[in-house]
Amino acid sequence: MNQLMSHGRKITIALMCAGFGISLSARADVDADAAKALARQNNCFKCHAVDKDKDGPAYKKVAEKYKGKDNAETRLIEHITSGEKAKFPDGHEEEHKIVKTSPPKDMSQIKNLVDWILSL
Amino acid sequence: MSKQNPGALRRFWRFLRRPSAKFALLTLLVVGFFGGIIFWGGFNTGMEATNQLEFCISCHEMRDYVYKEYQQTIHYSNRTGVRAICSDCHVPHAWIPKIIRKIQASQEVWGKITGYIDTPEKFEAHRMAMATKEWARMKAANSQECRNCHSFDAMSGDVQKQSVYKKHMAAKDAGQTCIDCHKGIAHHLPKEYRDPNEEE
Repeated sequence: MNQLMSHGRKITIALMCAGFGISLSARADVDADAAKALARQNNCFKCHAVDKDKDGPAYKKVAEKYKGKDNAETRLIEHITSGEKAKFPDGHEEEHKIVKTSPPKDMSQIKNLVDWILSL
Repeated sequence: MSKQNPGALRRFWRFLRRPSAKFALLTLLVVGFFGGIIFWGGFNTGMEATNQLEFCISCHEMRDYVYKEYQQTIHYSNRTGVRAICSDCHVPHAWIPKIIRKIQASQEVWGKITGYIDTPEKFEAHRMAMATKEWARMKAANSQECRNCHSFDAMSGDVQKQSVYKKHMAAKDAGQTCIDCHKGIAHHLPKEYRDPNEEE
């Protein structure tokens, strides 16, 4: 029984490592130029900058906030694709712009943008 | 000698200048009036035909590249059902600027003949130069083609998002014009383009 549990645990750890490895390789494969091009096309830089807070937080600050969190990618994808409320420096809230891609709803482009932000 | 046997051009000019002994002045006026309407109407109808979306996308350079990009934007499909076609943004509405733009467009015909942008690769290679030229034209015209439909004064702070309204009013106070901020709204931005708001 103990042997069976130990075997199961090994498999779980192996799967977690594999998942972590995939996650790491996904981050390593970020196409920064494509991410920035998508950000430009969507006017993201009107409210965000890499280093500086504007109406929206600096991307580096976003990366810092989500560093080490398992759901970071999912959470940010939801934030930029659902139109959920975002809080502004003056305290008011309004819907965050929904990032559009060409072709429409290309999740790989959205994911790449989020991964680029998280990689900063 | 030349007076006795004038050239064809000179004879034609004399014919034009000689008062008619055959047709009544009223006939000449009526024929001239309706002839003018037909000529002017034909000219303007022809010119307007070149403003139609169908005309613009009759070339594969437009149909296969920029038209597909535009179809994914709000100026093609939106909540209110108002569509801005190519000429709404790229051809002035006022008659004289429109004629000037049409004359300039003859250069584009030459580009078509010589295959300047006849492949996606060539199009991308020239996209920045073409976009820069068009942005400069729009800027020089104070974004008149945008302002045919949009104006700062018609923007409502109650309806527009607060952050957007604030930016628009700041732009108005700073004397900025639409194209200063709204580039690439109906087409992809050139890969070489950098947003001035962007910080590396």
